[in-house]
Amino acid sequence: MDAGVSFQTGKAQKGEIRMDIRANREQEDYPPCKLACPIQTDVREYVQLIAERRFKEALISIRRQNPLPRTCGRICTHPCETVCKRGQIDNPIAIAALKRFAADSSWKDQYKEVVSVKPTGHKVAIIGSGPAGLSAAHDLALFGHHVTIFESLPALGGMLRVGVPEYRLPKAVLDEEIQTITDLGIETKPGIRIGEDVKISDLFEQGYEAVFVAVGAHEDRKLGIAGEEDLEGVVSAVALLRAVNQGQKPKVGKKVAVIGGGNTAIDSARSLVRMGAETVHVVYRRSMEEMPAAREEIEEAIREGVQMTYLTSPVEIRGENKKVSSLRCVKNELGEPDASGRRSPQPVPGSEFSLDVDMVVAAIGQVLDSSFPAHDLELAKKGKAIHIADPGTLSTSRSGVFAGGDAVTGPATAIKAIAAGKQAAVSINAYLKGESIPVVRSNESVPPEKLSSTVVEKTRKFPRCETISVPVADRVKSFDEVESVLSENLAIGEALRCLHCYLGATIDKEKCISCLNCVQTCPVGAPATTKMGEITIDRFTCQACGVCVLECPVQAIDIELQPRGYVMSQVREALSDSHNPMVIGFFDYYGNFGPGDIRNLKENYPSVAPVMVYGLRRIDTSDIFKSFELGADGVILAGCPVESDPFPDARQSVERRVENAKVMLDALGLDGRRLLFVEMPKQGLVDKQQVEELMEIVSDLGPNPMK
Amino acid sequence: MIILTRKGLDEIEEMIKGCGSLLVLGCETCSAMCFTGGQRQVEELASLIRMKKTMSGDEGEVVEDAIARQCEIEFIEPIADKIKGCNAVLSLACGAGVQTLAKVFPDTRIFPALNTKFIGRAVERGVWAEVCMACGDCILGRTAGICPVTRCAKGLLNGPCGGASGGKCEVSKDRPCAWQEIYHAMKRLNMLHYLKEKPQVKDWPIHPDKVVREDLMTVEST
Ligand SMILES: Cc1cc2nc3c(=O)[nH]c(=O)nc-3n(C[C@H](O)[C@H](O)[C@H](O)COP(=O)(O)OP(=O)(O)OC[C@H]3O[C@@H](n4cnc5c(N)ncnc54)[C@H](O)[C@@H]3O)c2cc1C
Ligand code: SF4
Repeated sequence: MDAGVSFQTGKAQKGEIRMDIRANREQEDYPPCKLACPIQTDVREYVQLIAERRFKEALISIRRQNPLPRTCGRICTHPCETVCKRGQIDNPIAIAALKRFAADSSWKDQYKEVVSVKPTGHKVAIIGSGPAGLSAAHDLALFGHHVTIFESLPALGGMLRVGVPEYRLPKAVLDEEIQTITDLGIETKPGIRIGEDVKISDLFEQGYEAVFVAVGAHEDRKLGIAGEEDLEGVVSAVALLRAVNQGQKPKVGKKVAVIGGGNTAIDSARSLVRMGAETVHVVYRRSMEEMPAAREEIEEAIREGVQMTYLTSPVEIRGENKKVSSLRCVKNELGEPDASGRRSPQPVPGSEFSLDVDMVVAAIGQVLDSSFPAHDLELAKKGKAIHIADPGTLSTSRSGVFAGGDAVTGPATAIKAIAAGKQAAVSINAYLKGESIPVVRSNESVPPEKLSSTVVEKTRKFPRCETISVPVADRVKSFDEVESVLSENLAIGEALRCLHCYLGATIDKEKCISCLNCVQTCPVGAPATTKMGEITIDRFTCQACGVCVLECPVQAIDIELQPRGYVMSQVREALSDSHNPMVIGFFDYYGNFGPGDIRNLKENYPSVAPVMVYGLRRIDTSDIFKSFELGADGVILAGCPVESDPFPDARQSVERRVENAKVMLDALGLDGRRLLFVEMPKQGLVDKQQVEELMEIVSDLGPNPMK
Repeated sequence: MIILTRKGLDEIEEMIKGCGSLLVLGCETCSAMCFTGGQRQVEELASLIRMKKTMSGDEGEVVEDAIARQCEIEFIEPIADKIKGCNAVLSLACGAGVQTLAKVFPDTRIFPALNTKFIGRAVERGVWAEVCMACGDCILGRTAGICPVTRCAKGLLNGPCGGASGGKCEVSKDRPCAWQEIYHAMKRLNMLHYLKEKPQVKDWPIHPDKVVREDLMTVEST
């Protein structure tokens, strides 16, 4: 099944929304980032589009899979980065930051109008408006169904609104994202609690044919220690964050202990700092290594003054006058790994101590809200998460009722909830049409292939971009967003760090003559030989530099990133735009220029038609000759500065190739001076003087006689 | 393998002038390995020729192709129609390839775009050295794997001439004395006694030579 709907963005660009999240690895090699993403976002594609300064298309690419790009660009736990091949070299590509860049920068032009969606007349009810509910609603609406979202809180968004604090995900951003989703014609009913206000069975009576239960996990687990129930100053993290996120000003202690090690604990601690708490301890029973919270969140919290108390469990909350006065704790050491694979904490006898606090926040995990009648509906055992009859389809034991997100998995991540929402949409769509429901086996987590140490050594390192954040002294005063979006320059530079997994070279065995040129020239050592002379190129190791494609004398090697023939097709297109004189400019994407420089080039030198390539390594002598053959009066090859060249060792052969071509052009009587090889300036596309000199030569020599 | 170089553009132009439609034909074995006859070089040369023709007003279409080996009729046959459809072929093969084409297509003009230089090997990227003269009577077993016929300027068979100095040949200072190299290698291999045996005489072949292997033949030799 190919679940896709086309849509139109802004004026002219067409895109496609994909609902199906099943990996199709028989048909293509998935780069690790795509494979790791629960919704299989084509990370490599949008990163490449950013590198090519095609920001709008990058957002279209992201949007194809993900209805909440701006949210994910800020708070996604980015499993893609964990497996990024560059992570084995230096540091992974800052994928989430790039997503935010693309989504924030092109947001205004995006996703205005949906086309080719025919109403089906089917009605679907969605309970809960977190990322799971929203994503399901989005995809179901694009399938043409009438969708109604029921939400018990006054505003939509689920934990994105009432869990994640403003300083990480501004409400204004969330509002805009939700607005674009509901603009698809989705009916919303906030302030209605299903189970209390309306029963699920009522929904079927009201004409809804299918229901998606995505109620999340909003009840904090109890600490289960003395003093928890009866002392003033003990609060649940979810309740605290919800109050803050709804603009209330809950009472905050001076010295607070937050118990737990997940994102909720860290978010509570950082929020407390902003609300005026003087000291905030995060009390966690294991060590930092085992902490489930995102590393960068922990680091930011420490930077903001939060104190981490690892290997510590609370044993009793003590009080004076019915108010919290201290937290009795015990030190732990780590024992054998438990069911979760993490080493289990063992209390050290006699290590009890007290933390002097006046407030205790419980953040040890959330469970399904006990007021949701999952039990009555036989969707769950009492006090447990909703049970899914088949995790491959998200259907429950009741026909027409599907469930997903935190309500099923327990507290997880936004992207997993989005995946569940998308999967539910596909299931419900099939259910409504009476088709068999496609089964999604959640991404088997295949550990990424390991690069050899030689490859690691031979790959040029480029530092990961630093995101800019508000100075600590300022951020603790308010809930304003801490991190800012990447600048265009940083984003492009970051995107250019991509190593193009699986976009590299493939050998046509029929043509290969085992000449060994690829083996000898590959900068990273991807091609290997067998005893019988067969040559294979390791697709994961290859970085798509393009060197071997031109080194292969019999053209047995082609490459996916700008394949053979790409250059000439671009040249033909460029030359169709007739100017006098007409100069083809081959520019290296790795140069440090911006979209503005390309615009300026077109204005200042209309006769220079730019052809953009990933490295001049890709320009063959025959491409140069054919450009002249097709009537170009001049050809510029502009290579990036050596500092930004990922394959500096290949530069020499480019220069030699150009020298040789000049000699041949002289021999031909066409004059080698028509061919110019330059290094791009440190900033911008061309050096004015060099281009003007070439223009002068070209006009002195007169038009190319091929014309 | 056979080492080749491309002729100058002027010489090629002179040959093909006025020939009409032309097939530029690559040969993807030795010649491709020398970067003279692969599909890539075909594209380059064809492009140059087309431009040259345009500039000199010489008419006739220039088409491109490459086959595995031009010295083998089986590889030529699939493109026979293409060859017959052109007035001439510019071959990017060695002399064997050019002559095979000329024999198979007696009515088509076949031009060599390359010079067949020697039997050699790549000693580094972009450098090929002559190592064998195909003398027909190999003596490498007596000379520690170094061929004096090819590498000694005088082709001496029984020891150095005496003109070498500092290990270099008297003919050219860039040229190592082959016999000095042979001597050191033989010493290393405990083979110096060979040098004391009776002088070598060589059974030079008569050209053109021919090899006949009755055991492999399907029809009786003619
Ligand atoms: C403090 C905190 C920080 C987090 N930080 C991150 C992060 O940085 N990155 C990340 O990826 N994930 C993070 N998460 C996790 C992420 O927010 C959740 O995994 C995700 O929101 C789950 O989505 P969901 O749609 O399943 O449920 P939710 O987002 O919880 O949405 C469920 C919705 O259903 C509504 N509802 C419940 N019962 C009813 C009912 N009976 N009738 C109608 N509506 C009902 C709820 O009010 C809620 O709006 C964080 C979670 C918390 C609590
Ligand atoms: S494209 Fe580059 S990295 Fe890949 S095999 Fe060829 S030379 Fe090596």
